[in-house]
Amino acid sequence: MPQKPKDSPSGKNKVARIDFRFRRELAEKIEGDLASFCYQCGACVGDCPATTYGSDFNPRDIMLKVLYGLGDELLGENSILWECTNCYNCHERCPQDVKPVEVIISLKNMLADLGIYPPAVEKVIQTFEKTGRTVPLSDAVNRQREKFGLPPLPEVPMEEIQKLIEPDSEEGEKD
Amino acid sequence: MKRFAFFPGCLIPARHPAMEFAIREALPRLGIEIVDLDNASCCPDPIYFKSKDKLSWLAVAARNLCLAEDLGLDIFTNCSGCTATLSETYHLLQNEVLREKVNKRLKRIGREYKGTSRVRHIVTLLRDFAGYEAIKDSVERPLEGLKMAIHYGCHLLKPSRIMQVDDPNDPSVMENLVTALGATPVRHRNWYLCCGKACQSDEVPSNMMHDLLGTVNDEHADILCMICPTCFGQFDFGQMKVSKQFGEDFHTPPVYYFQLLAFAQGVPYDKLGLERQRFKPDCLRRFETTTIPEG
Repeated sequence: MPQKPKDSPSGKNKVARIDFRFRRELAEKIEGDLASFCYQCGACVGDCPATTYGSDFNPRDIMLKVLYGLGDELLGENSILWECTNCYNCHERCPQDVKPVEVIISLKNMLADLGIYPPAVEKVIQTFEKTGRTVPLSDAVNRQREKFGLPPLPEVPMEEIQKLIEPDSEEGEKD
Repeated sequence: MKRFAFFPGCLIPARHPAMEFAIREALPRLGIEIVDLDNASCCPDPIYFKSKDKLSWLAVAARNLCLAEDLGLDIFTNCSGCTATLSETYHLLQNEVLREKVNKRLKRIGREYKGTSRVRHIVTLLRDFAGYEAIKDSVERPLEGLKMAIHYGCHLLKPSRIMQVDDPNDPSVMENLVTALGATPVRHRNWYLCCGKACQSDEVPSNMMHDLLGTVNDEHADILCMICPTCFGQFDFGQMKVSKQFGEDFHTPPVYYFQLLAFAQGVPYDKLGLERQRFKPDCLRRFETTTIPEG
């Protein structure tokens, strides 16, 4: 059983017990399993704008917490995960193909399962689920379009979208 | 004419129709025929809805790709966010296990994803199907003497193995496209930075934009050439906000590349919706007095 570093977020000089259950849960999300390949080289940190311009965000640190299974430190209200700029520099730099940004998005999927979103994020998601667009249609939008000789925007066939975003049933999809 | 299915997304058609207008003016002049897609939805966005559930995100994106497959055409996007979603979907669904999962979802609506339509960002249509020379030839009023700082943004280039647009560390496509207009591209020191829109903290985007705009100012560029509508918002409204916040004067007008192209091709300034921007590219007006050759 590996030991945590002394400055580990969960206390000093304790023997670490890795919560593999958390890691297995994360691995069920698409590309959430890639964190296992992280060898903590830090290549993701140097080019990370959220690290450079913020105070707390560090993708290597997030990957370390994942490796230790410290889900509680990542999955809560005001999670640090939302400081990610989604710039994909870490994806570009990682020599292990961990795609830290994708692991972070998979962690956000776990947050969503808990029903936790920043209000601004939740608003866009709701708009999409209601209208099929992230910028909803309105008369004002279509008037603007008309000024440029563009046709009005059509409605999105929502019955199709709603069927697609319905979660898979427990017993699996029927063939 | 080369034909491509057009995936306009949400932001450009609904918030920036001037950009869509410019695209519809510019592409036919370069021998590219735009085929509209019926029944498309949001790509869906690679930041918000993807954060909720990647599988649902993939399923909706795959449905959009199916619409182009039905037409037997490759699909092109005008927004770097849509490119990120659709290119990544195309890439991920080469994996058979994932494709099967997504196709189970698509079966609910009687569709199947086959992977027969490639995803192309609109700049690659210009580069690979029209060519820089043809763009140059289509220009009726060369924008000579204009200095344009380029903001590539993130998702046009990265992840490079998935986007397959250009070298993410030393790209050239936008420089070449600006040169084809007769203008002079300038690469400011912070050209590679992100616009910060997706970040949910206040601190990160404003500090980053402040740094970025500082190096744009150093170059005394006349225009900031944009290729992503999300970045555009950050440099339009956002530039004003950062100026106020830091008490500094940032004022380089951001302009979406296709509005610059359509203008250079002869579309009048007043038809391009540029007066709706917070920072107006008045420097373009002097080219309107240039005589347009007959014929």
